[in-house]
Amino acid sequence: MTIAPPRTTRRSSTTSRTSSRTGSADAARANRGGAGLKQDGGGRGGSGAVARVFGNPVPQPPQHGKPGGLLRHLNLGTALLLGSVMALGFGYLANRLTKSGATDATFAPLAPEYIYLAGLFGWTLGFSIGIGAFDGPVRWLLGRELTHADAEYLAGKNLGWQRYFKYTTDHKVVGIQYLVAAMVTLGFGGLLAMLIRTELGVTWAEVFTPSIYNSIIGTHGIAMIIAMIVIVMGPVGNFIVPMMIGARDMAFPRLNALSLWLFVIALVCLISSLFVGGVQDGWSVYQPLAAQSPPGMLGYQMTIIIFAISTGVASVNLIVTILLMRAKGMTWVRTPIFVYGVFGAAIMGLYAFPFYQYSQLLAMSDRILDTSFFVPLQGGSVWLYENLFWLLGHPEVYVILLPSTAIMLELMPVFYRKPLFSFNFAIAGIVGVVALSGLVWAHHMYMTGWAPSANYPFMLSTELISIPVGFLVLVAIGTMWRGTVWTRLPVMAIYALVFNKIIGGITGIYLSDVPVDQYMHGSMFVVAHFHYMLMGAGLFGAMGGIAYFFPKMTGRMLDERAGSIGLWTAFAGFQLTFGSMFVAGLQGQPRRVLQFDDLFNISNWLSTIGAFVIGLGMLIFMGAIISSWIAGKKAPANPWGSKSLEWQTPTPVPLENFEVLPVVTSRPYDYGVPDPYDAKMLADEKAREKQTAKVAV
Amino acid sequence: MILFIVLWVALSPLGWLVTDAMNMTGAPASKVMEEIQQTIQVFTIVSMPLCAFVLAVLLYSLFGWKHVQGDRPKFESPAIRTNRVGVGLWVGATSVLALFLVGWGLVELAQITANAYGTIPSDEQPDDEKPLIVNVTGQQWVWTFEYPEHDRVTSAQLYLPVDRPVYFNVTSKDVIHNFWAVELGVKIDANPGAITQTGVTPNKIGTFNVRCAELCGLHHAYMQTKIRVVDNDDFNSWVREMGGQKTS
Repeated sequence: MTIAPPRTTRRSSTTSRTSSRTGSADAARANRGGAGLKQDGGGRGGSGAVARVFGNPVPQPPQHGKPGGLLRHLNLGTALLLGSVMALGFGYLANRLTKSGATDATFAPLAPEYIYLAGLFGWTLGFSIGIGAFDGPVRWLLGRELTHADAEYLAGKNLGWQRYFKYTTDHKVVGIQYLVAAMVTLGFGGLLAMLIRTELGVTWAEVFTPSIYNSIIGTHGIAMIIAMIVIVMGPVGNFIVPMMIGARDMAFPRLNALSLWLFVIALVCLISSLFVGGVQDGWSVYQPLAAQSPPGMLGYQMTIIIFAISTGVASVNLIVTILLMRAKGMTWVRTPIFVYGVFGAAIMGLYAFPFYQYSQLLAMSDRILDTSFFVPLQGGSVWLYENLFWLLGHPEVYVILLPSTAIMLELMPVFYRKPLFSFNFAIAGIVGVVALSGLVWAHHMYMTGWAPSANYPFMLSTELISIPVGFLVLVAIGTMWRGTVWTRLPVMAIYALVFNKIIGGITGIYLSDVPVDQYMHGSMFVVAHFHYMLMGAGLFGAMGGIAYFFPKMTGRMLDERAGSIGLWTAFAGFQLTFGSMFVAGLQGQPRRVLQFDDLFNISNWLSTIGAFVIGLGMLIFMGAIISSWIAGKKAPANPWGSKSLEWQTPTPVPLENFEVLPVVTSRPYDYGVPDPYDAKMLADEKAREKQTAKVAV
Repeated sequence: MILFIVLWVALSPLGWLVTDAMNMTGAPASKVMEEIQQTIQVFTIVSMPLCAFVLAVLLYSLFGWKHVQGDRPKFESPAIRTNRVGVGLWVGATSVLALFLVGWGLVELAQITANAYGTIPSDEQPDDEKPLIVNVTGQQWVWTFEYPEHDRVTSAQLYLPVDRPVYFNVTSKDVIHNFWAVELGVKIDANPGAITQTGVTPNKIGTFNVRCAELCGLHHAYMQTKIRVVDNDDFNSWVREMGGQKTS
């Protein structure tokens, strides 16, 4: 990819000096339609103040107080403070208002439920206010437009480290915040996984009581799902995508910050549920079992309701950014494949998460308001819940998989110095997955007896989805074909990803087949399969992606020696853990059990050993990330020699990303030399008589 | 190429290993289970070449084609943007495989459904061939089996006569369970407020397992019991012992 006027700014250094001081929120606006904005301001023009945005004079609304206003005083500290105070206050009120001794239909005491729920609401509200999420709307109601200086403050200009603890709108700050939050969630979920494997490895005793064990399983499931959804879309999607398409920020910078802080709020709700009984019903929390659970279930429901909003906001933001803010000349065929992947995932997130949110809203209302959407005794339907849940459940798998696959395809051309093989089929694969993703959900319900005849069409649609997924594999191996590979850490993740994806994909075909599923459903085989997909393909892809973008995001090189050791250790442990889990499933071990027949002992011991190896590998990888982040070698602007836009920015990336907005004049992935074995080349060769073919390979 | 064939050959026994793992507790004990295992075999055989091919490319890419290390090596690879033959072959092969597997699966599903429910109208069958009806009830955390044709005898273990079709009416008293007769290849959810039906004809005498395959609360892991498939006379005497008539 080339940028047409690379250094035109040199000539007018004063202009560029001014421009480099501008806020990215404003910058984005100026970037999209400076003219429209100017007219707007011109109509008002009372204050007379004019700011220069990238050399253009932009009339400013009157400035109220110091730039940033109230947000100068709000940060994570005030948010935590107000969140906790309001949680306690609401909880106290709920306690006062609940009649002592009140019970629900199953004679469980109601007070803890109400107190906990009120606390959750208080926390959510308090934290949002404390971080400044409502500052924008309130200002708007008061008729105080943002000035340029305000926007600069919001984007975290000249705030140093403080901007990472504020409601900062700069997409790069949000990306880093997402990275940390997602890694914390992953670490939390991984810790729970270790506890699960400990319990299952110790076959001679119960380490945990059944209720603790079940809540570990449920929390591990949902924490990991959430972490995997954000691990690529959050850090890389926010940090890199705007730069990749040549924009100065996301389309809606404040919504971007909102999506991050909602994610943090949801995370705290989830962790808090562990202290009031936990999520004891797996991550799918099937009704009516969930109705029996302790109040921890409310924490889960609140988590999902908030997280769905966060995902929706983030998806809309990404979609609009990608649709409207691509650089000049970046037509669809010149758009990098990762942008397609994120775009597809955002579309799926946008339609899938509302189902999840509804299912949890209805479940919460069943719990608190005694409605009976899912209560069979009162005419509710458990199958309704399952349908709503899996309408999210399957697209969400692709929300996890698409970005990590696309990130691999994105970085492959760089490390093989070759164009992406068959770009069109890569897009076709992504489009195919997105199109079919909404039509396959009931393959999770083959054995529910919900609609035996519907098993036929769902089997058809599910197995058809292996064709577009196959396209993506084709693109990967086609790009490898006859290429020289530059063996650095990010490219290693590709091998791990494709290997795992092949195994996960093939076992997925088994499971999508109803007769086979009749044996495998609900067994450890399923657990092994989806770990191969979500962790083997999703997480290893994400690790590669983070390793690839690490120099750009942190300004330092990743310690590749430690990183590779971590990656391959985790990979080896992964094969052991989930390979033997396949065997346990085939032998007939159901999932989510705490004890089992002696028959399954050997595979479970192996699995547990493998799990600890994974844990070790991940610790090494995390250690490499943290130590390199703190004290790694300073990274050059473009360490991989990539030609795409995000690497053309300086490192560390300035607030406005690009001094001059780039213009794209060629297709992405313009690497490589003409193929000596190409048909046309061979014909030319022959024509040049029998010169012995000594073509460089 | 050689690598591909070697990997293919190396991976091929996987299909049998898979069935071996499944047969450790005495499966297959019914026609349905045999069909399931046959399907798994076919799937394994069909997908192995694809798997072997991709693995071969991965390995060859690392060790066959060149690789370089270091900071910023200067090299460029051949710019293969696309290759009609290659793409055509891949798309053709994967589509044919996928469609074949779909077709196989659809036929097989129809077949196991037919096997489960029997194809001969029951009123034309001799008594011993008539399907036995068992009402299966799950509740936290036990299974109850009721024989409505035999004075509603109930049992905590599932007794079945060999070679006689049996229908299960499955339901639950509280939460969702999943009735999994492992070696018989039967699995269906037990839903509160609804009855789901399935069936099987056990064809092997022995002791098999019922497990719950849907998380159903604290003692989900312990919600299992035994299936005893016995011959017809033993079954009848067991029914009489339990206080029921031979047949209704």
